[in-house]
Amino acid sequence: MGIVDLTSMAEGQTTLRNEINERLLKLKSEISDYCFQCAKCTSGCEAHKLLELEPHKVVALLKRGLIDELVNSDVIWTCMSCFKCRERCPQKVAPVEILFALKNMAVASGKQIPGKYTAMLQSILSIGLIQDVQTVSTRDNKTKKRDDLGLPEVSKPVDAVKFQTAITKLAVEKV
Amino acid sequence: MTKYAFYPGCVMPTEQYAYEVSIREVLPLLNIDLVDVEGFSCCGEPMKSMNQLMTLYLSARNLALAEKQNLDLFVPCPMCHLSLSECQRVMESNTEMRDRVNSMLASEDLQYNGSIDVVHTVNLLHDHIGTEEIKKHVKKSLSGLKIATHYGCHLIRPSEVGRPVDSENPQKMETILKVLGAEPMDYPEKLDCCGAMLSANHPESALTKTGQKLQKVQEQGFDVFVDVCPWCHRMFDSKQVKAGETVAVKLEIPVMYLTQLLGLALGVKKEKLGLELNLSPVDKLKLGDK
Ligand code: SF4
Ligand code: SF4
Repeated sequence: MGIVDLTSMAEGQTTLRNEINERLLKLKSEISDYCFQCAKCTSGCEAHKLLELEPHKVVALLKRGLIDELVNSDVIWTCMSCFKCRERCPQKVAPVEILFALKNMAVASGKQIPGKYTAMLQSILSIGLIQDVQTVSTRDNKTKKRDDLGLPEVSKPVDAVKFQTAITKLAVEKV
Repeated sequence: MTKYAFYPGCVMPTEQYAYEVSIREVLPLLNIDLVDVEGFSCCGEPMKSMNQLMTLYLSARNLALAEKQNLDLFVPCPMCHLSLSECQRVMESNTEMRDRVNSMLASEDLQYNGSIDVVHTVNLLHDHIGTEEIKKHVKKSLSGLKIATHYGCHLIRPSEVGRPVDSENPQKMETILKVLGAEPMDYPEKLDCCGAMLSANHPESALTKTGQKLQKVQEQGFDVFVDVCPWCHRMFDSKQVKAGETVAVKLEIPVMYLTQLLGLALGVKKEKLGLELNLSPVDKLKLGDK
């Protein structure tokens, strides 16, 4: 089963959505009140200069309850998970965690998932890892595989079916 | 010999072979015995944007597998290390979640008990083996080598989760490198991100982050840039030429894994350290040429 089928399984998604919504509301009530909009998070944000992400505004919008607007925006996908905002916030607010919850919500709501995320998930579903073993090239353009380098077999789930069953459940529903 | 179970993750064992080759070559020289374990999967961190419960589940699953070995877990990737550490924190503090995850793990006959530690390359070398011990094994001083270090965001932040190195002034790699005779030096961009996490959906911007950092490192005349993360190394070494194009600069900075440079200092032949796999111009260094 691919992710496209997974995300269209409406019933499971409803439970997952409710759960993430609870998480967001909790973040809204417990965290966003502490934020005094000092913008220290934005001043150090790795995605700010390049892609105009403003984590302090994300917190402000959450506080105003504009969750749908945030979930639908592209900007939530520009965070590069550097965790500087979480580390440096004087009020222990963690904009990066709000962003993770918002992206989780976008995925659970069946929004188009950007870039290679779907491919990574599909790969985890089939072999347990985000990508399979690659052939690489050396500086002088010779190709090398793991065994050329004396490396042992890669560790992967032994019983693929059992592993897939658990992950598939997680992708579609509350367990 | 001290035994550790070896958790390779995804990126290192499927692509960043230089890290794995040098780890397997160097750590036994420092009396570390790595035990390979069957059945591991992705740590889940790359899935955090899609489904955080999946991240937690995958980490718990790997920790539960390692527990069966009754050994602490050596985790060379900072992303995996963060994911596994965060999982431990959640499982310790939230019994409801712990029960829920354990009930899911039961389908693979696994259970999380929280009985082991996770250790990254930097704290394995600095805290567990220790610089005094490393010093005893140095065969070839790296004297005169001016080094810029890069720890990787996930190794140093968020400190609330418990990271192996200080978040604002990480110095453990510097301490190790000084013992090897080298001259590591701080630089203003030391804590800047490599951008790798944007590769999935903003590949150009990801490369720009890499290019901007390396450009500054090059301007400051460092001899070599040292990292300890397969995601970061993929950006700084494997994609250095492309990263240079995004900032319109010809980048020619040797980039090495800490374990490769350490190997050279311990007298290991460069053929055994995977140095032919570094795509950055490491030949410029004229090290280990005997
Ligand atoms: S989240 Fe923290 S750092 Fe950012 S504006 Fe609010 S209080 Fe300041
Ligand atoms: S984690 Fe994301 S939002 Fe926070 S500082 Fe880094 S890039 Fe910006």
